[in-house]
Amino acid sequence: MIFNNTALPILILLVPAVASITFKWGNIKLATAISGIIEIFLSILLYIDKPAPGVFFIDNISVLFIFMVTSVYFLSSLYSIKYFSHHDIYISNDLYFLLFNLFTISMLFTLEINNFGLMWVGIESTTISSALLIITERNETSLEAAWRYIIIVSAGVTFAFISIILIYYVTGTLTMSTLINSSFKSKFLVLAVAISLMGFGTKSGVFPVHTWLPDAHSEAPSPVSAMFSGVLLPVALYVIYRIYEIYPLKTVYVWIATLSIVMAAIFLIYQDKYKRMFAYSTMENMNIALIGFALGGPGIVGALILLLSHSFSKAGAFYSSGNILRLTKSKKIDDVNGLYKNSPITAIALLFSSFGASGTPPFGSFFGEIIIFFSLYQQHFLVPFILVIISVISVFISINFNVTKMTFEDGKNNSKIDRTMEIIALISSIVPLAIGGYILILMGGLV
Amino acid sequence: MNMIQSIIFLIASMVAISGFYIQGIEFIIANIRGQSIQSILIASLSFIMGFLERSLDLIILGIMVVILRVILINYFLERTIPKKRKFSVEKYLSVPYLLIVDLIFIVLSVILIYKFVFSSMILRESIAPSNILVFPLITFFQGMFLIASRKSTHTQIIGYVEEENAMILFGIFLLPIPLIIEASIFLDVLALVVISSIIVLEKNEHNPVEDLIG
Amino acid sequence: MEETLLLETISQVLFTLLMAPLFSGIMVKLKANVESRKGPSIFQPYFDLIKLFKKEILIPSTSGIFFKIGPYLSFSIYLFISFLIPVLIPTPVIFTASADFLGGALLFSTASFIKALAAFDSGSNYAKLGASRIMSFNFLAEGTLITVFFAVSILTGTNNPYTTIELLTSNPLSDLSLLHLFSLIAFFMLFLFETGKIPLESKGVQELGMIDSSLNFEYSGKLLALNEWGSYMKQYLLGSVLLNVFLFPWGLFSGVPFFLIDIPIMFLKWMILIIIITVIETSLAKLRLFRIIDYLTVAFTFSVLFLILTEVISV
Repeated sequence: MIFNNTALPILILLVPAVASITFKWGNIKLATAISGIIEIFLSILLYIDKPAPGVFFIDNISVLFIFMVTSVYFLSSLYSIKYFSHHDIYISNDLYFLLFNLFTISMLFTLEINNFGLMWVGIESTTISSALLIITERNETSLEAAWRYIIIVSAGVTFAFISIILIYYVTGTLTMSTLINSSFKSKFLVLAVAISLMGFGTKSGVFPVHTWLPDAHSEAPSPVSAMFSGVLLPVALYVIYRIYEIYPLKTVYVWIATLSIVMAAIFLIYQDKYKRMFAYSTMENMNIALIGFALGGPGIVGALILLLSHSFSKAGAFYSSGNILRLTKSKKIDDVNGLYKNSPITAIALLFSSFGASGTPPFGSFFGEIIIFFSLYQQHFLVPFILVIISVISVFISINFNVTKMTFEDGKNNSKIDRTMEIIALISSIVPLAIGGYILILMGGLV
Repeated sequence: MNMIQSIIFLIASMVAISGFYIQGIEFIIANIRGQSIQSILIASLSFIMGFLERSLDLIILGIMVVILRVILINYFLERTIPKKRKFSVEKYLSVPYLLIVDLIFIVLSVILIYKFVFSSMILRESIAPSNILVFPLITFFQGMFLIASRKSTHTQIIGYVEEENAMILFGIFLLPIPLIIEASIFLDVLALVVISSIIVLEKNEHNPVEDLIG
Repeated sequence: MEETLLLETISQVLFTLLMAPLFSGIMVKLKANVESRKGPSIFQPYFDLIKLFKKEILIPSTSGIFFKIGPYLSFSIYLFISFLIPVLIPTPVIFTASADFLGGALLFSTASFIKALAAFDSGSNYAKLGASRIMSFNFLAEGTLITVFFAVSILTGTNNPYTTIELLTSNPLSDLSLLHLFSLIAFFMLFLFETGKIPLESKGVQELGMIDSSLNFEYSGKLLALNEWGSYMKQYLLGSVLLNVFLFPWGLFSGVPFFLIDIPIMFLKWMILIIIITVIETSLAKLRLFRIIDYLTVAFTFSVLFLILTEVISV
């Protein structure tokens, strides 16, 4: 092909870096948007032309994640340009985009590199670059939320470092490609895998250590929340999955993920702010994907479908939330009424996104969840199966009840929002529908 | 144990004790200094072991610890304390209660975890007996307890740095971690402290916030 | 053999009884000299005791029976402890087997408890103040005392103070370095508290921060003499434990006539301890009352840490 084998991953990392250099010349917004388009194109190219494992390790799963990251990056950068255009924010626009690019580079770095230690470094650097993004709109609560994010996630990821040390101690190497294909047996590896679940799970929404999730998502501006839910948590999930492959601890992972799903469902029922509601729904989806990864085989396929469609729907949900926030200036569900009459595009985007996030039929996440549930049943995890189905149903009911309340009740809102923002939200929420439709066609073709 | 091993043992235990010192002190600037004491002890351990094993990596590690942890982190954190309030004290702190709860916490966690998990690890021979792993574990849990028990932002940052110190100590004793990873870890922590110093300028205390419950 | 044992026992008890005020006198004189004062003579405590024995006893009308018998009880307990702990002779003497380290620690606490109870019983306000203060600090102090003794027992594998000395002298120092150091620090901090030195307490009657002195407030005559003598003996006993078990276990002999050498050796060791204490007393300021609990917590933390490490490390 045109590109040398390892040049492509390096290029993927470099493009946002180049875009950030224009920080000084004030063109960074445009440069970021352009780099978004280029990145999507490059990731599709990467699927076709994967380099051999060396410094970088790319396989089909990595390519899918890279594609997810680049797409949401592009959509978020477009949305951010419009979102902040008429508002004063605490950090300057240019700094915001610079940090945004750095955030994306660190996520892509984590996905591509072939060394567990450097993956840990990548996850830490995502924390660093995204911390300041949360306090973009400076007020007391966002400072508190950003601080909780920093401390809880850093402490958890430091805990995960123990697992990396243990892996190195037992196997003598940190290279991912050799470790995945080998079979070491040692009780320290068991410990390492369990610790990494709790450690990296802090960043990914696993039960006892998820507490920063709703705070950070509700206080950050919408494009940043979309990046968090849509791609940052899946990247952490990717790291957990890679470590899991060294020594699969199936029962532990399935049960802890089930516990997290149940807790997410319980917390979600009490929510009265729409952004926190979507944050808990992210937590639930991430843990369903974790179950899928843990089960293996068709479960992995289901998890990938779920993650892909979830990232688009959740991004769409947060974009719509941003639109609603600009419209009504309130974060509570009760204050938002009658979207259908005032801004129909936002209403449709919101409805589609929430259907996508909660796993309604023709959307892609439904198919992903069905495959995962089926593997759960097949591998005789009956109690988790029942618990997860009950939780998913209750989440479905809660989210859609709240969303329809927001959309269809009567109320008056007179302000208008920018067309572009609405259209971005709409596009982002329709993609899962497209994915679902594609799968239906595939299944129809098979049957 | 011969002489060198006793010295290594002693310095490692001082690291754990300085964690208690950080827990029990009220002045914020003393917390920062306490953390630099810890880092100096870790650097000296790294130098000693580097000389013993003739490994250049460990010596470079020691130098990096000194530069990054002791000098730079101190510089960034001290800049955020205004000159007039150099002796600011964290309010409503009851030292004996915290020290005793800290002690109980450490006793439980270290005994449980150490006895059941780590006691069968074998370190590089002739450096130290393998039960020296208790000390990084104590320091790690003390960092966690420091974060959980305090409301002031500075102290929480110090708790996080203490956790990272414990990781470095763990790594030094257990096996030689490749240098590039250690370097990146240091830079990460440094960047985190820089970011935190920005936040610390805004918000000094953390109390439960109404909007963020639930 | 029997006469040796008897001689050793008598010499140990008499040494404790008679020499304890001397050490206190030396301490006061040395501190005064450091402060550029002339200070009282080193035999001043003896003169005070003799004077007090000749004075009449005044008993407050609000006091109970315990007030009168308290001093006798605590004095006899201290005398009894001098049999148990190797304060002069490094091998067991008569009555040694009555109590081990733990028993010794419990006897110490009993003695302070009786003193506080007697002060409480006196019905005077100042004495009650001192009693309540000492009760509120004692929980950590007693905890530290017992824990330190336990830890030493775990370290040397025996509960008998005399055997502990033998084991400690026969092991090379490097084996005991770390854990010994912790327990030494904890016990030294406790020693400063129990004997009422600065930074915890200052002598003198006008001090509102007094703890120990206020327990003696209502006593006079023979009872006061017994109380004072008891505190001197307590100081001697605790200091000797510190020296003989923790700091310098060596240098003590047994058997006739070598045990007579022990007397000057104990003197020498005590001189070192007195110098250390004087340095501390003249360079620190007294802690405020609510800080004393912080100080004791640190001592307690050290001792418990020592205990845990002994168990976990098992070196």
